Amino acid sequence: MSNPERLRISGGAVYDPANGIDGVVRDVCIDGDRIVAELPRDAPRLDAAGMIVMPGGVDIHSHVAGPSVNQARRLLPEEHAVDPVPAPRLEDGTLARTGTGGTVPSTFATGYRYAGLGYTTAMEAAVAPLGARHAHAELDDTPILDAGFFVLLGNDDYLLRQIGAGETARARDYAAWLLGVTRAYAIKIVNPGGVSLWKSGGDTGRRNVTGLDDAVGSSGVTPRKILETLCAAANQLALPHPVHVHCNNLGQPGNYATTLETMKALGGQRAHFTHLQFHSYGGERGKPWQSAAREVIEYVNAHPETSVDVGQVMFGPATTVTADSPVEYLLATSAGGGRKWVNVDIELESGCGIVPYMYKERAAVAALQWAVGLELFLLSTDPWRVVLSTDHPNGGAFLSYPELIRLLMDRSYRDECRKRVNQKLLAGSALLDGLSREYTLGEIAIVTRAGPARLLGLRNKGHLGPGADADVTIYSSDGDRAKMFATPRYVFKAGTLVVAEGQLRRAPAGRRLAVRPEYDTAVTKDLRRFFDAHATVSFDNYGAEPVP
Amino acid sequence: MTEHVTCLGCGCACDDIAVVVKRGRIAEASNACTLGAAWFGDGVVPAEIRVDGRAATLERAIGKAVELLTGAARPLVYIAGDVSCEVQREAVAIGDHLHAAVDTLAATAAGAVLAGQRRGRATATLGEIREHADLVVFWGVDPGERYPRFIARYATAPGDLGKTRTVVAVDVGASRGPKDAGLRVAIAPSDEVDAIGAMRATVAGRDASAARFASAVDLARRMMQARYTAIVADGESGPEAIDPDRAEALVALGQALNGPARCTLCTLRAGGNRSGADAVLTWQTGFPFAVDFAGGPPRYRPAGGGGSAEALLADHEIDAALVIGAPVTIPGPVGEALDRIPVAVIGPRASTSAVRPVVAIDTGVAGIHEGGTAFRMDDVPLPLRASLEGPRAALDVVRALRDKLVHGAR
Repeated sequence: MSNPERLRISGGAVYDPANGIDGVVRDVCIDGDRIVAELPRDAPRLDAAGMIVMPGGVDIHSHVAGPSVNQARRLLPEEHAVDPVPAPRLEDGTLARTGTGGTVPSTFATGYRYAGLGYTTAMEAAVAPLGARHAHAELDDTPILDAGFFVLLGNDDYLLRQIGAGETARARDYAAWLLGVTRAYAIKIVNPGGVSLWKSGGDTGRRNVTGLDDAVGSSGVTPRKILETLCAAANQLALPHPVHVHCNNLGQPGNYATTLETMKALGGQRAHFTHLQFHSYGGERGKPWQSAAREVIEYVNAHPETSVDVGQVMFGPATTVTADSPVEYLLATSAGGGRKWVNVDIELESGCGIVPYMYKERAAVAALQWAVGLELFLLSTDPWRVVLSTDHPNGGAFLSYPELIRLLMDRSYRDECRKRVNQKLLAGSALLDGLSREYTLGEIAIVTRAGPARLLGLRNKGHLGPGADADVTIYSSDGDRAKMFATPRYVFKAGTLVVAEGQLRRAPAGRRLAVRPEYDTAVTKDLRRFFDAHATVSFDNYGAEPVP
Repeated sequence: MTEHVTCLGCGCACDDIAVVVKRGRIAEASNACTLGAAWFGDGVVPAEIRVDGRAATLERAIGKAVELLTGAARPLVYIAGDVSCEVQREAVAIGDHLHAAVDTLAATAAGAVLAGQRRGRATATLGEIREHADLVVFWGVDPGERYPRFIARYATAPGDLGKTRTVVAVDVGASRGPKDAGLRVAIAPSDEVDAIGAMRATVAGRDASAARFASAVDLARRMMQARYTAIVADGESGPEAIDPDRAEALVALGQALNGPARCTLCTLRAGGNRSGADAVLTWQTGFPFAVDFAGGPPRYRPAGGGGSAEALLADHEIDAALVIGAPVTIPGPVGEALDRIPVAVIGPRASTSAVRPVVAIDTGVAGIHEGGTAFRMDDVPLPLRASLEGPRAALDVVRALRDKLVHGAR
């Protein structure tokens, strides 16, 4: 099918929740790379009668590019060997690029596969500033997606020094400077203070923080102060997306208390809490785990300034890859160890841990994690603040989103699955109470597009109103929602038809999403001194901007 | 003067070089070590374009390269040194398009990479050694020879070698650690892997009392009591043969030490942006070297799988090759085999190549005449800066070649 400059998509049932449209049959008009209100009657037409029309998908949290992701790729030759990705034949007769898949696909395959699911925007969720230049290079090789990344802060020596010295204004200027020089989109905080302790090789038993008020180093710096400082900075800088927080104690039984405490610490301010599933466990160390999803999501429901993504666990292979390196050490050595394990301490900044992992239905903890994620989705009352994610590839690959959508939309299917999984730790899970909720298509459109676009502050994404980017996904209606969402009929990216009849037809480059907040440049003088004393990269070579 | 220039003379990628140019030549590369100074040289490189040894236009040379490569039944794309990641990305794209075998200079450290693929690894960026390590163990390597500024820039704070940290030299036969180490442990090459095993057993709390490993076991105990140990080993092969199981044994020891203490294993790698080649190939294909596009999607056939450039050439599988990068950096056996088949070379000093190329297109040297990105041995990306005008940019030439291959005479 050709790709006219102007196109009327006619007769489809449109789900555009940002504009209050919920399954109404109407036309969507594309002129160039934008949505417009109307087109002349003789404009080319795509007949979408009987089909479902939504904005392109927006992934708010995914690990797709940069040093940590590439470490994970290098670690997984077996996965890549069994999932070859042939080059798609494009509309102009040329072959696109080949690649490999698995839980951590090669860059080109990542772009093609996201587009094949109807996703047109994705945020890489964790890049150490030192690796920013690398992350941009990978995103340059990840076609179709409009993409950006969140830059890691909260374990970096310079910031901790400023907090220790009470220099909150300078900390804010530093964060603004860092966002600009790394060409990042938002501030990511991972296990504030905990990674710093792990790296410094502190005394045994002090290799991570356990709560918000643990001291990090000698200066009275605590996770709470780190969170408060960066959250305030992001809001004062009026960043489009607030701090994106991976709380302390990920994956630990009883961690819901830390999660709630963290949310309360930032109460009243905009903040996003990521992969909430991994932070919503009851029980305590040495005792059985249980779900604390209800306690956590009820807090979220009642606090409109708080948003989350779920980080659903899906059964099957995954690769855990995170800046939360002390947690990966625990995972690598748990249950007798023997797993592949990568740890990278990143000077002055952050860490990286990687462990390939299999979530099995018959495993008690995996079953609990699966249930906790679903509970968070099903007990939430405001879909605009609860985003669909698997923390790709941590809870499962993004290719499992259609299956997750089916679990949310189809109660009988969900109940069937629930009966198959290990029941040992499910006592107390709301899933057992027969949660009857089924997500509607309109709600799916919110949690996969409209909601994340709004939370990211991407005004031209996640909706189909005039002026929006012409990112449009068209599905054939199918009672099997997994099938429907896995194989969109048509996908438009910035007005270009990239997928037709389920086949990749074009693979244009995506745009980069980045911010450049203003700040008092006095901070750079101090930073230059800090670099001269501690860094192994010249201040002038740092970041990701082109050099002369 | 151009400041903050990144040197690709070895994998240290020191980025504090100031290059002074006088009358079209590099007069000084301050801060550079002897190896770096030799790498920069005077910056004068040939700017020839040759087909069959005779001067040719760029268009004709590219046309001839296309003819050579598209006429080949089994082409090889070899990424040599001194090109930027931007050029490497184009090189892999050309290999993908040609259904070629692709290998790179990164394969010189295959042993370390393969060990990492089997087990993972506990490592760190180089600055962490200086920042945190109270015990630095040089395992059968003195960085002074092939990584001259490594110790000063990454392993110690200025002037403190042995003052605020303990430096240990593990001498494996003739592969000796630094002369001024505070402590020496000697291990016979034939005992090396078993000695590492005994150290790992010690870390795991098992008895490893074989008398001939006593000093290694003592070192293991010292490592357990340290706060943060850095084990520094060479990923490149030196004059002495290295036990093929050493890399994996060291990985396992380094990982195990993170139980009682913290530990990083630092793998030294040589220059020319070979770490960039590893990274680029990994992100584009999922594999770090020895990639084969013959069947379409990339397949991985590393050591033992017969897919390295060296093995494919030795088996006479390859009937034409494209070398992108400086031919002078190609390892001996690969270079000798390339001399026996038709080769097109795009890169610094291509026209003076010992492989006697059919097509030779001289380009600038990444980091001297052209910019872009390169990776330090620890995968830290650094910008490259041009300090001197050079011949045509490698990136322009490979893009022109790719365009011609994909779109023909359009």
